[in-house]
Amino acid sequence: MNRDRTKMLLGYLLTFLIIITLNFFIPRLMPGDPFTSLSSEEGDITVIYSEEQIERYKRYYGMDRPIAEQYIGYLKNLLKGNLGYSIYYNQEVVSILKNRVPWTVAIVICSLIISSFLGTILGSISAWFRNSKLDKILYISMVFISEVPAFLMGILLLFFMAGRWGLFPLSGGMSMFTQYSTKCEVILDILHHAILPVMTLSIAKLGEFYLISRSSMLSVMSKDYMKTARGKGLKSRRILFRHGLKNSILPVITRIFLSLGSIFGQAVLIENIFNYPGIGTLMRQGVMVRDYVLIQGIFLFVAITVLTMNFIADLIYKKLDSRVR
Amino acid sequence: MKSKGIKKFSMFFALTFVMTTLVGCAQTTYKPEFSDGLVINLSGGDWGYPSPYTHYSRGPGMFKMRLIFDSLLERGEEGLIPWLAKDYDISNDGKVYTFVLNQGVKWHDGKDLTAEDVKFSFEYFIEHTPVVDDLTIGDETFIESIDVVDDYTIKITVKCPNATILSRLGATRIIPKHIWEGIDDPKKFTEKEATVGCGPYILKEYNKEQGAYRFEAFEEYWGPKPKVDSIQFIPVSDNILAFNKGEIDITGITADLLSKYEGDDEYAIMQNPAFWGYKLMFNMDRREELKDKNIRYAIAHSIDVQELIDKVARGAAVPGSSGYLPVDHIWYNQNVRRYDYNIDRARELLKGKDLELNLVISNSEEELRIGELLKISLAKSGIELDVKSVDMKTRDAMVKSGDYELALIGHGGWGGDPDMLRRTYATGAIPGYSNEEIDKLADLQLMELDEDKRREVVFELQERIGGELPLIPLYNTTGYIVYRPGKYNGWMYMFDHHEVTHSKLSYLEER
Repeated sequence: MNRDRTKMLLGYLLTFLIIITLNFFIPRLMPGDPFTSLSSEEGDITVIYSEEQIERYKRYYGMDRPIAEQYIGYLKNLLKGNLGYSIYYNQEVVSILKNRVPWTVAIVICSLIISSFLGTILGSISAWFRNSKLDKILYISMVFISEVPAFLMGILLLFFMAGRWGLFPLSGGMSMFTQYSTKCEVILDILHHAILPVMTLSIAKLGEFYLISRSSMLSVMSKDYMKTARGKGLKSRRILFRHGLKNSILPVITRIFLSLGSIFGQAVLIENIFNYPGIGTLMRQGVMVRDYVLIQGIFLFVAITVLTMNFIADLIYKKLDSRVR
Repeated sequence: MKSKGIKKFSMFFALTFVMTTLVGCAQTTYKPEFSDGLVINLSGGDWGYPSPYTHYSRGPGMFKMRLIFDSLLERGEEGLIPWLAKDYDISNDGKVYTFVLNQGVKWHDGKDLTAEDVKFSFEYFIEHTPVVDDLTIGDETFIESIDVVDDYTIKITVKCPNATILSRLGATRIIPKHIWEGIDDPKKFTEKEATVGCGPYILKEYNKEQGAYRFEAFEEYWGPKPKVDSIQFIPVSDNILAFNKGEIDITGITADLLSKYEGDDEYAIMQNPAFWGYKLMFNMDRREELKDKNIRYAIAHSIDVQELIDKVARGAAVPGSSGYLPVDHIWYNQNVRRYDYNIDRARELLKGKDLELNLVISNSEEELRIGELLKISLAKSGIELDVKSVDMKTRDAMVKSGDYELALIGHGGWGGDPDMLRRTYATGAIPGYSNEEIDKLADLQLMELDEDKRREVVFELQERIGGELPLIPLYNTTGYIVYRPGKYNGWMYMFDHHEVTHSKLSYLEER
């Protein structure tokens, strides 16, 4: 048992080391650098740095040194908790992340809660009424929406619910330059802005949870204790939620943690649609301008989050499922 | 035991959710003070903290910084106009520039601006290069020395005469000596003081995450009175949706949407000058045959520019001039050679040769379309294009290192100082291309201080370039903007730039 745990920890450590190494080298292997820019998007203008100016910036950011030396410097700083200074944003990466991460984490967690909750309920209902019309309709529509790309769903929601009907703000994380009388109004405003991104992410994830919960419930329903429960003449709602759900929920919970990797990926796209101030918009900008230091910081954060969640999923699975214990 | 675990986890979720929401709130506890009067809302986005060192290197970043910091001269509708300097004089040998400053100019913190600040600004910028560096030509600064004659007169001596120096000195921002004196690393100077300037607007709020700025008119501004009391930049996902909802007051629109706003008194439409354009670059090191003028002509004759304009720019563009300076440039020469779309002529010039060329483009929607159309039309004259699309930075890096055969590139600034001809065409600028006559004229225009004489040289240079065609300017865009004149009607262009919101004069009373 203990040896297993050490092995697992070593595995995580190794993964982590590989990730930070890739984090360092991949951005630098991309063609282009943070300072070379000859073109701009239509209608925009850009400052074109002279060769001399580029050299000067490279010296300033230590990019004129050999790459091995830069890598060692990066590791050293990392140990000290120093993620570096963003080239594009002129700010400590740590403080940029501190300002951006809560926005992303909030919408990701909200949509995980909503989609897992709704998905489990719908999946259980579907399993309970297996092969009925309701089950078929639910199944087909869930498969359908889980195949619609999240960004497309986002654009549709933006266009209709915000643009056409004006139910929600068009973009951003909060209203700018308005005066709030109470703290409550601020929270309401932030929630109002978060609804569309959360809705999009929840819809994108709903199908996944529905399918897992449905199949898990189906296998639970064939178990003897369920037959017994039915035989005892218990109410079907009680059987479904008390006996069935309790036993079928395990794969759903592990899935919540495991899906964090993919949901961050989707959040990146969705934040860009709604111009939401999280790390998704930040990452896109970072890659576009080749801000190596910032890209490293963001990927490091995402990697740590996903690894931690995987770790937790492992632990929970062991704790909740006696078979693995 | 199991259900306890689940309960614990739902508690954990609920807690994290509440906490993250609260963290979100914690950042928003500002209490803006609101001024009455005219508030203009513009499309925001984060363009950096608007000091000369920390704004981002694109247009929206530069002009926000310029609302705060004035310079000796300003860019008006017709050309440079006196600004902080009410008068200037250039010595006959073109080496001494004397500027006389306006009196009573105040910094946002109430202190007076004097010639000492001007001297300090130039010296500071030479030592610490700002994002927009106007003081360097080639590898080093062109300034020899700076002397304060009296509180309001400053004399700048330059190393050698050069026609671009006046606009370079005129464009350099003036920063307060009493604030920047002790700053060693200006890129990390992001305190509130870093945005104390002498310009017409004061930065009241900046929110990096949301991409929002609020500027308020500076009451003690020395110059023309601000007409707009406050300028707000708010985050927007789609400009046209936001404009229709009244969230922002001006937006660019595509030609397809024109009819929606035309003929409606609520809206006014302006067409931008053609200062943003696409050009097709040749790498004559990679492909020796491109050194043959006739091959370049053949390529030009194979391109249906009008089709590109109709299909890609939806009509909102003008054909590029073979002499480079676009039709709206103050020094545009209309007598340059023209290359109409003529497949027969192209085939004739190719003399039956078949060509295979690689073209690198970026991944923007417009460039993908241009690439596709070029491929089709060049195929008609027997030139096979292999189009490769990469992201913008990759394409730029390929062009810079000469790793291409043909490249499509789009950028702004086509309305700027004609010295761009030298930077674009002189030996070394285009791989494998060199032309003595062009080099000579390019140097001549740079040294010529007499405006009329310089203009003549620039006109001749354009004709020479048009005849050589070392690269092909495809087209220059003339996007449309729409605004509500009932709310604000003061929008103006600068003589060399296509964006009204970038002009400081757009927000000030006319003089």
